[in-house]
Amino acid sequence: MSEGIKRRDFLKVVGVGGVGAGLTGCSTEGAEKLLPYVVPPEDVTPGVATWYTSTCGGCSAGCGLWVRTREGRVVKLEGNPSHPVSGGALCQRGHASLQALYAPDRHTRPMRRVDGELQPISWDDAEALLAERIAGAAGNVLMINGAMGPSMTDLVDQFLASVGGSRIEWEGLAEAPLREATRIAWGRDVVPRYDFESSDFILSFGADFIETWVSPVEYQRAFARAAGVNGAGEKAEFVFIGPRLNLTGQNADEWVPIPVGSEAAVALGIASVIAGRRGNAGPYASVLQAYSPEAAASAAGIEAATIRELADRFQNSASVAVGPGVAGQHRNATAANLAVHILNAVAGNVGTRVRLVANAQSAAARPYGEVEGAIRSMASGGVGVVMVHGTNPVHGLPPASGFVDAFAGVPFKVSFAREPDETSAMADLILPDRHFLESWGDASPRPGLFSLQQPAMEAVPHFDTKQTGDVLLSVATRAGSPVGPATTHEHLRARWQQLHGNSGSNLDFEAWWRAALKRGSVELPIPATEAAVALRQPDVALTFDSPSLDGDGEFALVVYPSSRFGDGKHANSAWMQELPDPVSKIAWHGWVEIHPNAAERIGVGKGDVVAVASPHGSVNLPVFTYPGIREDTVAIQMGMGREQSGRYANGNGVNAMTLLPAEAEQPSGGLVHLATRVSVVPTGEVYRLATIEGSDSQSERGIAPAIHLGALGHAAEGGEEDHAEHGLEEMQLLGGFGAVEVEGDAADWPLPDTDRGDYGDPATPRWAMAIDLDKCTGCSACIVACQSENNVAFVGEDQLRMGRDLAWIRLERYYETVDASHAGPLDVRHLPMLCQHCNNAPCEPVCPVVAAYHTPDGLNGQVYNRCVGTRYCANNCPYKVRVFNWYSYADVPEPLNWQYNPDVTIRNTGIMEKCSFCVQRIREVQNRVAVEGRTVADGEVVPACQQSCPAEAIVFGNIRDASSRVATLARNERTYRVLDELINTQPAVHYLKKVTLHEVEDGAHQGASQNEPADR
Amino acid sequence: MTRMATLTEAQKRGALAHPDVDLHDEVNRDILKMLSAPGKGWWFLFALAALGVGVMFGSWGWQIYRGIGVTGLSSPVGWGAYITTFVFWVGIAHSGTLISAILFLFRAPWRQSIYRMAEAMTVFGVMTAGLFPLIHVGRVWHAYWLIPYPNARYLWPNFRSPLVWDVFAVTTYFTVSSVFFYLGMVPDMAAARDKTKGIRQKLYSLISLGWRGTDRQWHHFGKAYLFLAALATPLVLSVHSVVSWDFAMSIVPGWHATIFAPYFVAGAIFSGVAMVITLAVPIRKAFGLEAYLTTKHFDAMAKLIMLTSLIVFYAYLTEFFMAWYSGEPPEKQMFWNRLFGHYWWATWIMLTCNGLVPMMLWFKRVRHSIPALFAITIFINIGMWFERFVIIVTSLSHEYAPFAWGVYRPSLTEMGIVLGSFAWFSFWFLLFIRLLPPVAIAELKEVIPARMRRGSGGQDRHDAVPATAPAGD
Repeated sequence: MSEGIKRRDFLKVVGVGGVGAGLTGCSTEGAEKLLPYVVPPEDVTPGVATWYTSTCGGCSAGCGLWVRTREGRVVKLEGNPSHPVSGGALCQRGHASLQALYAPDRHTRPMRRVDGELQPISWDDAEALLAERIAGAAGNVLMINGAMGPSMTDLVDQFLASVGGSRIEWEGLAEAPLREATRIAWGRDVVPRYDFESSDFILSFGADFIETWVSPVEYQRAFARAAGVNGAGEKAEFVFIGPRLNLTGQNADEWVPIPVGSEAAVALGIASVIAGRRGNAGPYASVLQAYSPEAAASAAGIEAATIRELADRFQNSASVAVGPGVAGQHRNATAANLAVHILNAVAGNVGTRVRLVANAQSAAARPYGEVEGAIRSMASGGVGVVMVHGTNPVHGLPPASGFVDAFAGVPFKVSFAREPDETSAMADLILPDRHFLESWGDASPRPGLFSLQQPAMEAVPHFDTKQTGDVLLSVATRAGSPVGPATTHEHLRARWQQLHGNSGSNLDFEAWWRAALKRGSVELPIPATEAAVALRQPDVALTFDSPSLDGDGEFALVVYPSSRFGDGKHANSAWMQELPDPVSKIAWHGWVEIHPNAAERIGVGKGDVVAVASPHGSVNLPVFTYPGIREDTVAIQMGMGREQSGRYANGNGVNAMTLLPAEAEQPSGGLVHLATRVSVVPTGEVYRLATIEGSDSQSERGIAPAIHLGALGHAAEGGEEDHAEHGLEEMQLLGGFGAVEVEGDAADWPLPDTDRGDYGDPATPRWAMAIDLDKCTGCSACIVACQSENNVAFVGEDQLRMGRDLAWIRLERYYETVDASHAGPLDVRHLPMLCQHCNNAPCEPVCPVVAAYHTPDGLNGQVYNRCVGTRYCANNCPYKVRVFNWYSYADVPEPLNWQYNPDVTIRNTGIMEKCSFCVQRIREVQNRVAVEGRTVADGEVVPACQQSCPAEAIVFGNIRDASSRVATLARNERTYRVLDELINTQPAVHYLKKVTLHEVEDGAHQGASQNEPADR
Repeated sequence: MTRMATLTEAQKRGALAHPDVDLHDEVNRDILKMLSAPGKGWWFLFALAALGVGVMFGSWGWQIYRGIGVTGLSSPVGWGAYITTFVFWVGIAHSGTLISAILFLFRAPWRQSIYRMAEAMTVFGVMTAGLFPLIHVGRVWHAYWLIPYPNARYLWPNFRSPLVWDVFAVTTYFTVSSVFFYLGMVPDMAAARDKTKGIRQKLYSLISLGWRGTDRQWHHFGKAYLFLAALATPLVLSVHSVVSWDFAMSIVPGWHATIFAPYFVAGAIFSGVAMVITLAVPIRKAFGLEAYLTTKHFDAMAKLIMLTSLIVFYAYLTEFFMAWYSGEPPEKQMFWNRLFGHYWWATWIMLTCNGLVPMMLWFKRVRHSIPALFAITIFINIGMWFERFVIIVTSLSHEYAPFAWGVYRPSLTEMGIVLGSFAWFSFWFLLFIRLLPPVAIAELKEVIPARMRRGSGGQDRHDAVPATAPAGD
């Protein structure tokens, strides 16, 4: 593949040149001399980005990427719009994996442990040493790896076949019970795919498909398309059943707060109602008879009427049920998943909205049961060499598993970890792998879909790394049993040559390969396997009862996957640490979620440190009172409590796994996550929470209003009433604002007498944004996308606790109706708050030095160089979207600064900053169209937040173009502008109200309302 | 009895006689002795003040070196102790001009014993206040951008910004009050020149601008003083009005109120007069000026405090009423939060110290008790600092966006600078009472009954003060 080699060659030049260039030229202080290219690389135009396709390695979902490089450095990841999985979006963890590329804590070179100390070793010696030890192990080689693409899996398997050894795969967030239940139900060993998009009734028994479950970007997009109200005034209903509202649950219309482990009873109860009418329960008819609505209701502590009513709705709509997910992985999890399968089956969803084709997770992750075997074999001395790649079992497995001792006993332990972790800290030989942005690889997110990973830049020169595939191939050769190809790249091409053969393409391989690289993925036809599938008789004994929980504490303990760290993999990303958790809005440290009533009962409040003790361990954590959790349940997030990771992860929070038993669920063998009861005892200590949350109540301001679905179409009248209620028009007349129309026509926008833009020329755009709050799920991907695009610095826990976080987007979360005591409506509002680019911007007149000013095209600009730092603009901003550089936060350790976008200024101490509507992207497009001699098309300018949004909630464009999408949305009856009626700021950000399926009860929720943010 | 017949013009207008002072020489002696070599007490206080100044500039230097982040400021509370202290000192600076200029124009000659100290307080108060905008900004090295100066880039400050108005208001006030202060002191410095020797005499003769006490000089002096008084008078109203507009011109609930200008001016006079008493009481004691600063002076000032206290308290009530009457949730909740929220204690300190405690002054016995007055004015000083703190911090912490509400805790650096500012003020004031006549000698002499003046032994000497000092008109 000559092109690839060529590109890598020039990237090498660029990479070296880039080191000299530095990235410091943007700040006023500390400017350095720039070294120009001695020989300019042919394909690089300085100042113009080069894009590569790739596949995200952040989790096993396999989202397609567009990798933006500038002068040979990767500076931004974006979703690949032509990729079938991600469809152009990217989640927060995907963005964070870019930071892992430049993580300052990465292993800098191969290292060998000599007398207990790690010492540098050359690659040559390291490979020779490994080959020697493998040869000496006589086939007793064990590989423990995380999720890998098909080519890498094949390479590792070939390697192990050649040198003699075995392999297990361990992923913390694997869905073993779901897969096993699918096998039991239908005889297919897959994790099914769910079609949310065409559903109009979605039932989740706990699955966090917006955060981590199976393929979160894909599922979130589909969910938002279904749950966001469409032009016909229809939207899917979403009911969440479970003890704790995760972020996914917060987006539900109704919450049935059942005790932990009773999902199976509820699912079977619903199924029994439907099957009672249809008689299609097949081999499960007798099971369903035992779960009459009354029996199920009493098992779950809810009312039978709720179950019947859910059954009616489930039966009579295009429904889908999912769950319970990793957090609900209890001792009967396979049965619970099977119960949900039965429910889908009797409702006739299988083959339509539940499709039994495999997806990414199907190939991945052997269950914990196999890890138990490996531990036994290591402990018994049956393993001579153990190699760990892409996974961190020392942190991810409960200490009770005995993994640490067994692993320590292996004579030679090899780690391919890119960054330090708890497992590599025990290794005898560390052979640092490359980041996926520096490597060749592929992924197969689902059957027939193959997605490529290509090196988008030369390996970061600070780190002497080697792709693990290359190491294995070389070691195999040295050990005298060569595998075949010399490099991973060759191996990959050979694999893809087979795919080319299967593709039926009439292009030759090179052309096909180049097209695949350009597009990022290929989709091969797969045989239809969707013939009607009937439920099969279970081949194992299962009980659908609520599982037993260890201990006799007052609370059941839910350990749930983190939407920021996954199972801990992304914990050493400062972006992820700094990102407030979408549920608790806490960053950096850990917490335990307790219902406010329960907290009151044990005499604690937000920030009080409690000792959470299970029979297996005890941890101390500050309390976060959360109305979205049952009073008999507490919850702790996975992935924290790292000890041997890098500087950003170590010491933050606690490892929830230490509270769990090491137990495999039967029959799937998945690790049990929901297994104990805990006692919660106040310690008397107080920990000031590092949270961005001021008040969780809107306090009658209508920041994030909602509208009842039934009121749609009558909003005009409703709007009038609202105005009358506020006496708005009268007030505006009195205030001399009589000429100002509040609900102006978008085509006339900005409104007369108030514009500060230069709108004499009809071609001058007025940039504006529309955010559909009925789609926004609060996932927070936009925040990280913005951080990545705009060089928004992170500030650390202490600064964030003071309220000094720099994020340009603040995802506000207001509780309206959250009731954990019984089934009923749920209303949690999410609102991304960013600079509103007001027409009457309060920040502009108060700046004494005109650093805050209005651009001719309506942007609210901020001239960093001119800013003196009086902070008057921030005081006067009613939206509180201006953030201040209290220190030089942008000074980050090498090479993290390599990530900085050269198009955006690095901000220094004493400067105000805020959302710029990605002005650099606007100007880039404007420059491009000027060169091409045309005008900017609608949708051509895409700010980073919109690009990343998996829910497709954000639309950006020129509102003066009446046919633009943003202008159309601005005319929508749901559209409102935050606080505009009160203070006439005329924001350019138009929000579309959330649509509720229940009468809007603004302010109904009082439970956790904390009007006074004493903890901040 | 006999004095009734010999009242001067000034006394007829209400000037307070000093029953124990009969001779011009006594005035010279009593006042100028303050300029003699200081005692241990002074040195102790001066060393303390110098230490405080060191702490202040050390903290500021640390803040510049490390970044403004060493403060406790954050989002949403971007203004805190610094701006509070800025407004506090501007307020303190008010009474000087009020007492010397407005009371002068209104013919309230009871001012004559205290106005010099009040003027000095004004000048040093503005000097202290003026530091705080600089301390407060994120990039002090670029703070000069707020000043309009011609430059090649045609960059001007934003004349719509109240902060720029502030720059003008404060610099103007500083200029005029300094000139006024200096002008009023010229005859007294001549008196000092005549009583000193050596280098000090040279210095005094330099700054007394060759004052010889001729009729012609007195004539010009009187005119100049009158004009400057007329010029300074509107500044009393303008400077604190402009400072209040820093807040009132914004849209922050709790700031955006039309009452702010009169409310701030009244508050400034209130705090300023209180500070005059706070300073005058120990000076009177230390230098034995009981004959010059009589209970009648204090009584007059106490009445002024009472009046302004009522105005200020009325303004508080108006704010609360308007918040309730507006019906706007952000406004209503902000004021509710002010009374019962995180900073309730600050609000109640403010209400108690500024509204309740001064009401004791209705009693004549309290007005005539120097210790009681001293204690009350200390309460007022504290209350007025907290008034500004309450206005600034409670409003910012509880603005429009509930999710962004937050609280602010001053850091050690901030406290160091805020406390240091008192030391900085004291530093200059201590120097002042040793180097410049702290009580207006010439004006005091005006109220010495004429009969006694004739008997003074000053005829055979070159006396700086003529027998018939014009009152300035």
